[in-house]
Amino acid sequence: MTSHSLSWLLAVPAISALVVLLLPRSWEGSIRRFSIGAMLVELLLSLRLVFADYSEAGYLFVEQMSWVESFGISYKVGVDGLSLWLVILTTLLSPIALYASWGSITTRIKEYAFSFLLLELGMLGAFVALDLFLFYVFWELMLVPMYLIIGVWGGKDRVYAAVKFFIYTMVGSLLMLVAILYVVTSYKELAGHYSFDLQELSTLVLPAMPQYLLFSAFALAFAIKVPMFPFHTWLPDAHVQAPTGGSVILAAVLLKLGIYGFIRFAMPLFPVASQVIGPVLAGLGVFGIIYGAYAAWVQRDLKKLVAYSSVSHMGFILLGLFAMNRTGISGAMLQMINHGISTGALFLLVGAIYDRRHSRLLDDFGGLAKVMPWYALFFVIITMSSIGLPGTNGFVGEFMILAGAFISRSSIGFGSAWFVMTLLAATGVIFAAVYMLHAVLRIFWGKVVHSENESLTDLNRREVLSLLPLLAMVFWIGLYPKFFLDKMNPAVDSFVSDFTVRYYEGRRTSEPHLIDIDELKLKLEAARGLAMAQPMDEEGAR
Amino acid sequence: MSAVDFMGVSPLLLLVGAGLALMLVDAFSAERSELALVTAASLFAGAALAGSMLVSGELPAAPELVTRYLAADRLGLLFDVVICVGGGLSALLAGGYLREHGLERGEFYVLLIFTAFGAMVLARAVDLLSIFLGLETMSLGAYALVAYRRTSARAVEGAVKYFLLGSFAAAILLFGSALLYGATGHTDLAGIREVVAAGDADPILAVLALVMLLVGLAFKVGAVPFHMWVPDSYEGAVTPVTTFMSVAVKAAAVAVLIRVLVGAFGDEASMSLYTGWTPVIFLLSIATMVYGNLAALAQSSVKRMLAYSSVAHAGYILVGIAAAHEVGAFAVSAVLFYVAAYTVSNVLAFGSLILMGSKGKEAVSYDDLAGAGRRHPMAAFPFVIGVLSLLGMPPTAGFFGKYYVFSAAVQAGGPMVWLAVLGVLASGVGAYYYLKVIVYLYMREPEEGQAIAVPMQSIYVVAALVLSAYYVVKMGIMPGRYLDWAVSAASSFMS
Repeated sequence: MTSHSLSWLLAVPAISALVVLLLPRSWEGSIRRFSIGAMLVELLLSLRLVFADYSEAGYLFVEQMSWVESFGISYKVGVDGLSLWLVILTTLLSPIALYASWGSITTRIKEYAFSFLLLELGMLGAFVALDLFLFYVFWELMLVPMYLIIGVWGGKDRVYAAVKFFIYTMVGSLLMLVAILYVVTSYKELAGHYSFDLQELSTLVLPAMPQYLLFSAFALAFAIKVPMFPFHTWLPDAHVQAPTGGSVILAAVLLKLGIYGFIRFAMPLFPVASQVIGPVLAGLGVFGIIYGAYAAWVQRDLKKLVAYSSVSHMGFILLGLFAMNRTGISGAMLQMINHGISTGALFLLVGAIYDRRHSRLLDDFGGLAKVMPWYALFFVIITMSSIGLPGTNGFVGEFMILAGAFISRSSIGFGSAWFVMTLLAATGVIFAAVYMLHAVLRIFWGKVVHSENESLTDLNRREVLSLLPLLAMVFWIGLYPKFFLDKMNPAVDSFVSDFTVRYYEGRRTSEPHLIDIDELKLKLEAARGLAMAQPMDEEGAR
Repeated sequence: MSAVDFMGVSPLLLLVGAGLALMLVDAFSAERSELALVTAASLFAGAALAGSMLVSGELPAAPELVTRYLAADRLGLLFDVVICVGGGLSALLAGGYLREHGLERGEFYVLLIFTAFGAMVLARAVDLLSIFLGLETMSLGAYALVAYRRTSARAVEGAVKYFLLGSFAAAILLFGSALLYGATGHTDLAGIREVVAAGDADPILAVLALVMLLVGLAFKVGAVPFHMWVPDSYEGAVTPVTTFMSVAVKAAAVAVLIRVLVGAFGDEASMSLYTGWTPVIFLLSIATMVYGNLAALAQSSVKRMLAYSSVAHAGYILVGIAAAHEVGAFAVSAVLFYVAAYTVSNVLAFGSLILMGSKGKEAVSYDDLAGAGRRHPMAAFPFVIGVLSLLGMPPTAGFFGKYYVFSAAVQAGGPMVWLAVLGVLASGVGAYYYLKVIVYLYMREPEEGQAIAVPMQSIYVVAALVLSAYYVVKMGIMPGRYLDWAVSAASSFMS
């Protein structure tokens, strides 16, 4: 069955971007409505993906078309449990971010809408691409619109922030390009033909040494995007300078592409290296949790605070990912969605107050709960989600990640290290409460000390409309995560078992060769007399 | 002997005819307004002629007497297309630029056509004699073109530097040719190849000759450390000439580099990774990529930045040539594709720069571009595509070209992989200065009291930009056909 669902998903933003380009500059109202409309259509289209059957691992809605035949480059797209919710996150957050932007962006409407549609195309493309070349194209395609959004519509130091963002991301991904070429070349030498198809390349097993180098090249690209400490320095700059809509998309979706890159490409292709280097990355993630939390705590600028809290939260996700078991990875996948929702909402809220007051300094506020009660309510709920209060989405994700990391102490090496990391990460949860509640306290509680704040208006209809869907998601995931987890668990299970097989095969080998993964799985199962999936974390998932 | 027998060299004959006709028209007509169009049309006709022979199954015929000196092979036809397209687009740019700035004189177009002719001869040359003839035909025209704006001190400075250094390089090349003849007893590349491959050439003489040939050709390509003339003459020349030099002249030099290195010295021993010419090209490419990119960083003039960027691109081309020792045909086809992609991208970038200025105020520096994206969005947009392609962002021709060249390097394996790593890092440096164009176009405003450049209105320039932008995007999204051309040219050359 080829329904072309995914092609339509990519075509709608592409065509809409061209239409926007052709519309006359002066039709500002039409451009605003049209671009939002196009993104809503996109959201509806993407909802179709949710209702497919994900109980078996494997890609759905796959489409494949030869693109550059002589190089084996193809247009191959598909979704599975790992990418499904990220696609939905993208299609949900894009219209929200754009809609919220229309409140504050007043210049060059046409270019803004064009950039946003192009950005959505790039993000979706990167999430659904199953061909490394195609992935790289979309990965780079995201860069230019985001660069323009920061650089043209951003704050005072926007040019610096935009160029820094661009160069960091690009340099990282260039090395990944060479690594991709190396993998493809090795595959060609064995299989006799070129292919960038992820599923074909997954049959290639490389010996340990090249894996280390290649994984490092991939990891650099992805770690910069995440951003993992110490590659995070572009993030606060970019966030502070970007307009609200740009910050929302950056935090909610772009950062997730780093993690997604790890789980979709770097880890399956180089299992030996990720098993060895993974704990180091997880350690850096834990360091990022503490460091980000501490840095957030000392910020006086609310937007910077939220930006550093992203560094902290993304550290959790890295920890869960490299725990390399079902609980940890599911938790990381879920926490990506959670972070997208709660941090996206936080940036929307920061933008709302900035539009009114033209300041984001904590010192300029105080007592806002009296002046803007609805704003305060929204802010506090989102804060609770961000610090992981039970009943909100953040709790589920963080709990699973910590449980997963804790289990890891016995299943992979560095036993006591995992114990310490889990412990430190758990203190990160407390730190999160400290810095977020500290901010809430400074902004909302107490007396209104600044007379400018007395006349602030509460949230308007536009802001409430853009926040409501996120609020609904906070509680939906918080109270009934099963709906989301059930769709991703089979994919995560098969990821873990494939990974294990390829890991042992890679450890054994000193020559690159091709494998049949199903056959190997059977062999390994027979040899061990038990199933591959680690049985001990069946309990931890709940 | 009928006319059909000369099909193989017909693009050359067409250009000679067009050049001569243009001279006559220029002499007898007072109204020489549409010379640019005629020139562009003849060059595009040459490209179409060569292109049609390239895609048709069998090779066109040419008398043996001619092919002994000028090959009529697919490689030659491909370079005909590249040079003619580059020349034709430059002629269109000149049509707008020269008229706008009151510089239009008939001889410009005659020179342009003959220089393009010289470049095509050079790209087809398979004999040391015809290499030198082609080189000189091309270079003399290029010297004159650089000095075209004779009232400008900068142009004269650039031309004198180019002429002096160029003559020196040509002399070294000629000396190398003589030594090579002495070492092998042949002037034709095929004969030289046989002798060298058999190991019958005097080793010391042959190495000395190869070094001298390399120096001469590296000069024309603009490889570091033989690039000294590039920034000055690129900056001094009128911008359409700069465009032409950076695409057609460079392409011809690359062609002859391929013919000499991969052709005449294409045997295993001469190409060896440690003892042949490969390490030399390897080091040249490192120096060229690194220096070109770093020097481009420091420029405040966009034109000069593009000059250094063209040095950097010569470095990427050399990466492809260095990879030929291991993956011959693949590497050569990568170089061919890269040259074609670079041609359209560079025309787009230079053409956009031309478009941004008009009489009285030419756009040269970054400051001249400040705020132009807001004031003239339509004029600024092609510039963005141009620099993104030069930077190698997908989905443009430049990205695919870079991908292809670096993929050849990775396939060659061993130390070549690290060359590819260095290459991508160097091109990452490029992000800074190419983005600076976009920064100034869209994110800066001109300072108080600064003279503002107004985009010119010229259908010629617009036509050149539309054409090159079309191919930049097409070669990025649908590279299939152009890849096939490059592959067939390369594999027929290697066999």
